[in-house]
Amino acid sequence: MKKKVALVLAGIMAFATVVTGCGSKAASDGTFTPEDTINWTVTSSPGGGSDIYTRMIADVMTKEGMTDETIVVSNKTDGSGEIGRNEVANTKGQKADYTLLTFNSGDLMPMVLNTKNRSANFKIIAIMAVDKQLIFKGTQTPYVDFAEAIEAAKNGTPVVIGGSKGDDIATYEAMIEEIGVTQDQMKYITYDSTGDAITAALGGHVEFVISKPAAASEYVEAGSLFPVLALSTERYTGNLASAPTLSEVGDYENVEVPIWRGVAAPAAMSDAAVAYYTEQLKKVSESEQWKTEYIEKNKLIPNYLGAAEATTFVTEYEKEYMEANGIQ
Amino acid sequence: MENIQLLLQGFETALTFQNVGAALLGAILGLIVGAMPGIGSLAGVALLLPLTYKFNPTTAIIMLGALYYSNMYGGSFSAILLNIPGDSPAVVTAIDGYPMAKKKKRPGQALFTANMSSFIGGTIGICILTFTGPALANLGLKFGPSEMTALLLIAMTSISWLVGENPTKGVIITVVGILLASMGMDTLSGAPRYDFGNMHLLGGIPFTPFVIGAVGFSQVIKLINDRTKDNGASNSDMKLTIRGSLLTKHDFRRLLPPAIRSGFLGTFVGVLPGAGATTGSFLGYAVQKKMHSEEELGTGAIEGIASCEAANNAAAAGAFAPLLALGIPGSGTGAVLLGGLMMWGLNPGPLLFTNEPDFTWGLIASLFLSNILTLIIALAVIPFLLKILSVPVKYMIPIITVVCVVGSYSSSYSMYGVLIMFLSGLLGYFLSKNDYPTAPMLLSFVLAPLLETNMRKAFIISGGSLNIFFNRPITCVLMVVFFAVVATPIIKSMINKNKNKKTEGTN
Repeated sequence: MKKKVALVLAGIMAFATVVTGCGSKAASDGTFTPEDTINWTVTSSPGGGSDIYTRMIADVMTKEGMTDETIVVSNKTDGSGEIGRNEVANTKGQKADYTLLTFNSGDLMPMVLNTKNRSANFKIIAIMAVDKQLIFKGTQTPYVDFAEAIEAAKNGTPVVIGGSKGDDIATYEAMIEEIGVTQDQMKYITYDSTGDAITAALGGHVEFVISKPAAASEYVEAGSLFPVLALSTERYTGNLASAPTLSEVGDYENVEVPIWRGVAAPAAMSDAAVAYYTEQLKKVSESEQWKTEYIEKNKLIPNYLGAAEATTFVTEYEKEYMEANGIQ
Repeated sequence: MENIQLLLQGFETALTFQNVGAALLGAILGLIVGAMPGIGSLAGVALLLPLTYKFNPTTAIIMLGALYYSNMYGGSFSAILLNIPGDSPAVVTAIDGYPMAKKKKRPGQALFTANMSSFIGGTIGICILTFTGPALANLGLKFGPSEMTALLLIAMTSISWLVGENPTKGVIITVVGILLASMGMDTLSGAPRYDFGNMHLLGGIPFTPFVIGAVGFSQVIKLINDRTKDNGASNSDMKLTIRGSLLTKHDFRRLLPPAIRSGFLGTFVGVLPGAGATTGSFLGYAVQKKMHSEEELGTGAIEGIASCEAANNAAAAGAFAPLLALGIPGSGTGAVLLGGLMMWGLNPGPLLFTNEPDFTWGLIASLFLSNILTLIIALAVIPFLLKILSVPVKYMIPIITVVCVVGSYSSSYSMYGVLIMFLSGLLGYFLSKNDYPTAPMLLSFVLAPLLETNMRKAFIISGGSLNIFFNRPITCVLMVVFFAVVATPIIKSMINKNKNKKTEGTN
């Protein structure tokens, strides 16, 4: 009991320090070391994939002693996350050196689609990892494999695929374009989260579900979902190895829409600070805890890109996405 | 019998000194958090979650489970005493709870009723969870878009008896609720609706500040206006002791049937993916409307409070079934707990019951424990809570205003929430001044988006055909119930007319 009370008190004290804040001095020799609390914005809810990703990085940074300052992760979900992203983009002055934002392909797509905010309003600090999707079938799905489903769709029996928002839709669209079916022949139902979509597949309400490996893995283990297609240029390993890629299914090119997880900062962040964070995130990506407890556990592909490369990558990605969707 | 054995082992885990302490701490925190409008279980669990990363998972989830659970009790306090729902399920509690406290001068009994029925509903929910856990979760899976559409249609019919004396005004206000709810990002296509180029509106109107404003802050404006009229309507004639708050035998007999019925109903609704405690409490109330109540619902009837409070606590227990058995969160809070499970190194999913029996059964046992703990604490604080009522109006006005501002701010940590609260407060005030009921607006605001997404998903699956609502067994049964509910008053009035004609004829 006492221990817990102490913990709660410690929490309150930590909170108080954060609120009152401590003054910070600018470094004079051109290098940057944080001397104040680092505020990290996540534009999705606590407990979700982006939140876990962020808290894991913050945890590694603290545990490995990369910084003595507190890293405060706050979830800003107002306006579907656009408010939080806009705030970070417009952070100026000293504060800009202490502000970070979790920035994924799933964040970039709605931002570009619905607002005037662009990746150029940020400094891209790093890309940490890349994820891909697979298609799974439920126990009540009448098709043996995905080739059969494609056949059925082409012969006029509609096939229903469920999935989450953002990047899942982008992958689905790329896939049906390659297969050569319309959105009526192979329908897509958008759920609020991958979890909801998997629920629908378990209940037999959709025939297939598109998901990243992490969310579906447990269900594959339990025999309630079966991987039928890897949306990747090569097969997965482990319990997902049985899923063929699209080129193995028929006379198609492989479809792969990489989903990246990155870190961004306000455009006003100083170059010294950018260099500092890029370096720290590189150390995180090389740490044992990150490799075992995040990358391996969630079956991600480690793919660290430093500030310069990441900026080029994101700019290119944004350009292609805007062209594909006819955004000026 | 195997389940009972596992449950007993679970009790062994839950009853260690450390875990009882965790449950107690969780229960107290939950009551406080729940009683504060705006800081619902979602925020409470989310705030505490990082603190628990260092605990062992069982202790951590026992504490969070207790917090989540006692929250459902706390939500009704401010609804009954101040007419400000502490969380969304408590919107329904306020319909009968506030009149009972204010007009009938029985605030203690109203709180007692809420606590007792929460306990009954919760206990039923946990018992069902214990014996049918995984099977229950599988039943929930059978509810796809078409089934949910039919169920929500039934829930929507409860609007018809919330509209009050003027049906036209009721319909107008229902439509206003639907329109307000449709603002923001369309969940199916991702297209922005009614955002007027404003980034804040892109996320829609947040529910909690909206309710706090429409129900609570409009109350403040009313108080300010009334103050000049009657100064010193004292509450001194109310019984403010725990003895004065005890229910009579007769009260208890009135409370029991709706509480038990709602207990079963609520558990079932809680299990359904995405339905949650709010839908549960509305449905419980709707069903009670069809049953006999000694006093008319909405005037401060014990049956009204009992039916919705029992349902929402049962739903909270039911929501654990899909979470534990399938790794599917039934609510926002469930999603946060799920995130917690992963951080503690457990893999939520279909294998959790088999791989981590200590954990799952320990949690279920702790739900029993925290349910009892919370009841005791909740009953014990009644006299202190009642003191709130003897605070003079001139102090109440600033206090409630502060509570409204803090509550609406903390639900999304932004001033946008506060702005919405003030605006909807004005809206709520003008509506009630012109005899527009606010309850239908809140109900349609909650249910319409759920109905819309489910119906559109159903139509995508069926390719636009209505058949999907009739050729699936569960959906078909629910649709028949829906049509029966809608048709009953029409047929009744037709029969009455016929009777009248006949009697006229004989005369």
